[in-house]
Amino acid sequence: MNQASKQKKTGSPEVIKQYLTFRIGNEHYGLELSQTREIIEYSGITEVPLMPNFLRGVINLRGEVVPVIDLAVRLGRKSIEVQKRTCIIVVELQNNEQNHVLGLLADAVSEVIEMDDENIEDAPSFGANIRAEFIQGIAKREDEFVVLLDANNALSIRELAHLVEAQLQ
Amino acid sequence: MNLDGALQTFFAEAEDLLNSMEAALLRLDEGDKDMETINEIFRAAHTIKGSAGLFGLNDIVSFTHIVENVLDRARDEKITVSGDLLSILLPCRDHIAVLVENAMHERANDETCLAQGQALLDALKPWLGVAAAPVIAKQESNASAGFFDGNTGGSSDRDSWHISVRFGPDLLRNGMDPFSILRFLRTLGEITHITTITEHLPEFNDFDPEQLYLGFEITLGSNASQQQIEDAFMFVREESSIKIIPPRSNIYAFVNLIQSLPENAQRLGEILVKSHAITYQELEAALATQKNQAKALGKVGMLGDILIEEQAVAPEIVNAALDKQKKNNEKKSSPENRFIRVDAERLDKLINLIGELVINRQRVDLLASKMGNPTLIEAVTSMGNFTEAIRDAALTLRMVPIGDTFQKFKRVVRDTAKSLNKEIELEIEGAETELDRSMVEKLNDPLMHIVRNAMDHGIESISVRQARNKPDSGTIKLTARHDAGNIVIGIHDDGGGLDVEKIRKKAITNGLIEEGVHLSRQELFQLIFHPGLSTAEQVTNLSGRGVGMDVVKRNIEELQGGIEIESEMGVGTSLSIRLPLTLAIIDGFHVTAGNIDFIVPQNTILECVDLNSLNHVQGQNCVNLRGDQVPYIRLREIFSLQPGNHSREKIVVVQFGEKRAGIVVDELHGEIQTVVKPMGPIFQALKGIGGSSLLGTGAVALILDIQQLISFAINREHLRNNAFSVNIQEQE
Repeated sequence: MNQASKQKKTGSPEVIKQYLTFRIGNEHYGLELSQTREIIEYSGITEVPLMPNFLRGVINLRGEVVPVIDLAVRLGRKSIEVQKRTCIIVVELQNNEQNHVLGLLADAVSEVIEMDDENIEDAPSFGANIRAEFIQGIAKREDEFVVLLDANNALSIRELAHLVEAQLQ
Repeated sequence: MNLDGALQTFFAEAEDLLNSMEAALLRLDEGDKDMETINEIFRAAHTIKGSAGLFGLNDIVSFTHIVENVLDRARDEKITVSGDLLSILLPCRDHIAVLVENAMHERANDETCLAQGQALLDALKPWLGVAAAPVIAKQESNASAGFFDGNTGGSSDRDSWHISVRFGPDLLRNGMDPFSILRFLRTLGEITHITTITEHLPEFNDFDPEQLYLGFEITLGSNASQQQIEDAFMFVREESSIKIIPPRSNIYAFVNLIQSLPENAQRLGEILVKSHAITYQELEAALATQKNQAKALGKVGMLGDILIEEQAVAPEIVNAALDKQKKNNEKKSSPENRFIRVDAERLDKLINLIGELVINRQRVDLLASKMGNPTLIEAVTSMGNFTEAIRDAALTLRMVPIGDTFQKFKRVVRDTAKSLNKEIELEIEGAETELDRSMVEKLNDPLMHIVRNAMDHGIESISVRQARNKPDSGTIKLTARHDAGNIVIGIHDDGGGLDVEKIRKKAITNGLIEEGVHLSRQELFQLIFHPGLSTAEQVTNLSGRGVGMDVVKRNIEELQGGIEIESEMGVGTSLSIRLPLTLAIIDGFHVTAGNIDFIVPQNTILECVDLNSLNHVQGQNCVNLRGDQVPYIRLREIFSLQPGNHSREKIVVVQFGEKRAGIVVDELHGEIQTVVKPMGPIFQALKGIGGSSLLGTGAVALILDIQQLISFAINREHLRNNAFSVNIQEQE
């Protein structure tokens, strides 16, 4: 990945990245595949009291206690209703040289796509209805758009912790 | 060995030192002419330099070294500390602070920073005298290169002087630098061999950077007279042990030397090499011969015999060394050597694995009782007992007595009392009480703060004590004891005590509490932990800056502990810190409320009762338990959980410190051994939940932090009552 971004700087046009795409409501989103760790079936979330809506609870991921984020709420949409295809995407983010593991609730996982930078457009300054810094770019696929999320911003541990703190006050 | 911990200690210490350095410089600026003040500044710089050197923070060492040189000249009254010099020394102090700060954040010192440092050093030049000593950090590297080059020397050096020196432990404190002696020796001749004797270096935790632990075995090729060589050690002779063996000495001189060596040298060969009676080459050759002989004869020849055969050493030397080796071996079997040193990381790994074992055992338990096979249940139960025993045994591995931590305060109290012009004695009780190693490290800072506070604000000055009919010397007592799965650490002083009224007034002035609000004594005392509230009338360099006590409280809470204060005006103050013995694995009680599994730490539980069997105190969340009123918290309410059936509610009566309270839950499930899993940074603001844990079913349960939960409930009630009174006022 690092190499890929370096290439971009030196002007080489061939930068292909893989994205995991998934569906929330009718919208399609993507996350860089390198940031995702696994996809698990939705089951047995332990609710944590007094938390804001975006924080659905915690799960036991093979002995590790992992918080689960309702991505829909985080993106300003209606809370996800658990259905048959609901799943949890486990992502691993680097923050302050520490690894943070988070679970993301999604309505359904679609596929892994390969995109080169040429086909990714910058986030529109308005109209996406999502905070601009959460969007890394918009990928056009056939007749649909995939919003590629900037996980480090959309899931900033510091911001999430602040939101929890605000909720508790 | 946790070097990181030590490094953190250094940063904390450096900050303190820089603060006192600043204060002392300011005192000089105000016209203080006391030599002790200059000494204080010198010591601060000296300590920072010394500790920084230990961690290889060379930028700090090299800069501070020059500053120290100037201060040293001031100390010797070679220069006077005038306003001019002060106006350079203060920025120098600030520059050291910047360097320490950078090191703390692992930032490299950028060019502007280094340039600033150089500018300051240039400004200091007029005060440095003619020959400013070069920078220590460089000296050391040069020195070692120079000295150890000699080690390649070939044959035996019995033609040279042999010097065996064990420096006195206080040498560094007295301002002596062993390297300067070695440098001086080099002016007399060539150091062809040097071995550093490091046997006396203590465990890292006991390491005192101001103490000298080293000795040297030196071989010096020189035409100097014995007197000249002895003169090199003129200033250290009294406290050090120095033996000089002239060239071509009788072999008995070496025999004597070996016998007088204090070290525990392990092998005959090493001892001989160390004293340069033989060289490594001779040793290796001898070892090779030993092997060959063993092959040829089918039996291992004695190393000593071979060395004699090879004519490398005289029999007398070998016998003396053999004697010593025998003695060393005898010492081996004494009880002090029964300890095994284990890497802390390996230990933590073991504890983690046992944690997993504990969780899995719950799972097996669950499955066995589901299957209902009595033989299986029996087997599982007995396995469970062993698991428990293993867990307990493993946890004791990490336990260390708190005495070592307490002991460090002896020095702190002595030094601080001196600087405060007070007489203070430190008493220690319960030093053998054990607690988790990881907690000991985190206790250091809060304890340091409390003790300093007690010395500074608690213990009165001698004149006040005399007026109060107290002995001149104040006492600070550190105690530790176990109490129902907790450790209770007490810090008592027989000083002036806390002035409740003064605290109240200050809190009102600072807007912490409203006038007319009634608070209990304990609640008022607890206000001293509030940031910004310091009752010291005079802010001193030690404490009284109003920061600190809040940090103390936070540190203790991070360890899942609590702190209570008892104080009486004129008599003294006692703080008790209550901590769980370990953070890794706890015995808990599994309950549910709403649809969430909770775990109440077992050591807080007094009893569990049916809520409906108790008489309620009218209109309050309070029950009558055998004549005592016990307030309770309904988990479903405080955590806004789904409402449920009230008829079957149970109350878990818990105790934390002096407080007793009830936790109302929906269902009791029973005891459970549980491994504490941290919840992660997102949940940091959540009060009342101390962590999470996994149940046998694989579900996550939340561990209640009783103390936090209770104070959370109290705060909420206060808020609600306040909101209520605001409403009334508005209606009026």
